Amino acid sequence: MSEMTAGAKAGVERVWTGGCACGGVRYEITAQPGPISFCHCGQCRRQHSHVGAYTTFPRDALRRVKEDTLAWYASSDRARRGFCSRCGSGLFWEGEGNPNVDVTAGSLDEPTGLCADRHIWIDFKEDYYDLPDDGLLRRASTDPDNHSKVES
Amino acid sequence: MTAPLPGGCLCGGVRFLVTERPMGVVNCHCGQCRRFHGHVGAYITVPRETVFFDADATLAWYRSSAKAERGFCARCGSSLFWKGDGNPLVDVAAGSLDQPTGLATLRHIHVAGKADYYAIEDGLERFPADAPEPP
Repeated sequence: MSEMTAGAKAGVERVWTGGCACGGVRYEITAQPGPISFCHCGQCRRQHSHVGAYTTFPRDALRRVKEDTLAWYASSDRARRGFCSRCGSGLFWEGEGNPNVDVTAGSLDEPTGLCADRHIWIDFKEDYYDLPDDGLLRRASTDPDNHSKVES
Repeated sequence: MTAPLPGGCLCGGVRFLVTERPMGVVNCHCGQCRRFHGHVGAYITVPRETVFFDADATLAWYRSSAKAERGFCARCGSSLFWKGDGNPLVDVAAGSLDQPTGLATLRHIHVAGKADYYAIEDGLERFPADAPEPP
């Protein structure tokens, strides 16, 4: 238990760890990650080749322990996406001037102990699947809270 | 619908055309797909010879297991292909296909490896590992 809590911020029960498939990128999260958002936007669709799944938290709570193979792609004029250049694993989304960072849910080590709370950018959803009847919030690009939630 | 399926990565470095219509899309919940895609993998399966590349300068391959490789764009990180050694078929990631696809999701496989942060709620058939081969 002491290993799991070492480095965690005050009031946080554990440290979350994660990384890519090949081990070239490893990270730690020392704050409570926000609930998972499923992103149906076109950029997530192209890069992840399906729905994006992200957790959001303050940037200073992300410690990149190992980043030998980390590469970045400027996916728009205001954001960049981080991935492993050796194994192709999708890892991070950073918005310019945004105090928070998004980490892909799939790159977290299991068990995450996290839950999802919403679908965002649903008006850009692809045609080969339906939004599940899962009771989660649904937000479109025109909604003011069309973004993931950060735990206070 | 018999139209071929164009597709590619986020940055355009990889562009291809799939000339054979697959049965549909299969969602894979295994741990390797989860790391690669950042969430569930969603794939169509087609014969390798039905995938034609218009551009592949940025296509890179990673040997993800003793028996398979995964293709991705080295410039934008798009997760694109799963290719088993000696397998005449190739899996093409569904989200890399241009819209509209006219396809539907068929089933879920490797659900025994599913992560804890989501549930499978769509009522489609689930298989703990691979789906059985069709008769």
